[in-house]
This record gives sequence, structure tokens and C-alpha cells, in this order.
Amino acid sequence: MSDFLKGMRISSSGMAAQRMRMNTISSNIANINTTQTPEGGPYRRKDVVFEAMPEAKTFGDIIMATDPRNDMQRVQVTDVISDRKAPLMKYEPDHPDANPDGYVAYPNINLMEEMTNMIQASRAYEANVSTMQAQKDLSLSALEIGR
Amino acid sequence: MSGLFDKTTAALQTSINMRQMRHNLTASNIANAETPGYHAKKLDFEEALARAIDLDGTRSLSANHPDHFATGGSNPSVRPEIYDNPEGAINNDGNSVDLEKEMSALSENAILYKTAIQLINKKMAALKYAASETK
Repeated sequence: MSDFLKGMRISSSGMAAQRMRMNTISSNIANINTTQTPEGGPYRRKDVVFEAMPEAKTFGDIIMATDPRNDMQRVQVTDVISDRKAPLMKYEPDHPDANPDGYVAYPNINLMEEMTNMIQASRAYEANVSTMQAQKDLSLSALEIGR
Repeated sequence: MSGLFDKTTAALQTSINMRQMRHNLTASNIANAETPGYHAKKLDFEEALARAIDLDGTRSLSANHPDHFATGGSNPSVRPEIYDNPEGAINNDGNSVDLEKEMSALSENAILYKTAIQLINKKMAALKYAASETK
């Protein structure tokens, strides 16, 4: 049973997912005032969608025919969605992106929301790092058997 | 088999396997701490292991007829029980992972894993001592 690699794979999937989330948060904060995008219109807030997926089965798992409910689940970012909120309209008649009425569409991004999400993401990332380290520690101590 | 490696070694081996599995499950809970709709899972194996090794001889049926199957044995085969943890509040997004609980379960499990390893090491050391040449 080479199960210890599974634990590491699950932890690393968690880290990858949280890093992806962090990237979208960075993108949201960096583009908080962006009024032009390749798709046209102001930048729209991005968010990630997490999904639990069964970790790939080992040969031993299949032989033991375990209940599929019992599968260890890794996490994966399955989609990056754009926010559907209406943009903020600000009256700036001299701005090159102003509409005929003199209003400019700005991204509807709440900085506080992004900051709290950022803290959440970094804490979740750290928790995954801890599990990875614990796994490493355990495997190394198992190597000491019989020394 | 009542050879060099007895019931205790087999039990410790199973225990280490199960703790590894529990570690994987906790890692899975922590990785999915922010996944909507994910329910925290729990794994129990202590009772099954106790039944399998049957140290006090009260849990298994005695097999004193050749057609009977022994229910305990020197090589415990333990099926762990994995289930959705009924404790803990479910979040707005349907997630029931309590990160603090999971982290403490993780370190508790790690300590017990290392304990089992230490015990195996002690047993091995005793065997080694017994097998070594005396001068």
C-alpha cells in the first residue's frame, strides 16, 4: 500500500486550488479601476469554483473494491466565473471611456471582500502545507523502522 | 503462526496502515475546507482492530472444530469504517469542515502513528538483542 503518496497528492491539490484562488484575487485587486478589456467594457470580478473529486484509485483500492462513498477526495478548480454584477457608473465626462451622458463604467469590486477572501485563501493554503509536512514527517519516521 | 513476529507486530502494522488512511482522510477534509457541499468525513478503526486481534479473548468465537472459521487471528484484516461526520455545523455553502478540529485530529493521529513506530522499533531492538551473539 503506497498510500502515503496519496496524502501528499491530496494536500498538493489543496495548495494548487488555493493558489489559483489567490491569483484571481490578485487579478481582481490589480484591475479594480480597469475600464477597458479585450472583451469590451470594464473588468469583471473573477471567482473560482471548487469541486471535490475522488483521488485516483490505486490497484489495491480496486482489488479491495471499497465503497465509492469512502474515496478520499482531492479538490480541483473546475471553473473561473465572471461576476454578473452591474458596473459602477461614475460621472467623468473627460474620460475617454465615458458614455454620451458622461458616465464611465468601473468594475464593481469591493476591496474589503477581496482582502477577506485573500486572508481565507492564505490560511487554507497554510493548513494544506501543515498536512503535507505532517505526512513527510510520518513517512520519514516509518523509514526508521528497524534501524 | 507463532513465530518471530507475533500478534502485536501484526496489530501495530495494521494500526499504522489505518493511521495512514486516517491521515489521508484528514488531508482530504482540509483540502476541501472551502469546497461548497463537501461534508467532513471520519474514519473509525479502533473497535474493528480490537475485535480482530482479540487480546482479551472476549470478542471472538472460539473455533475448536476443524470446520469452524476462526474469527480472530494472528493477521488482523481490518475494514475501517468511513462515514460523514455528524458533528459540526453545516456552513451556508453546505460545507461542514471544521478546520481547527481537523488540524488537531491531524496532529493527534501523527503522534499515535509515531508511537506505533516506536513500539515496533522497540520490538525489533529486543529481537535483535536476542539474536545477537553473546560474548
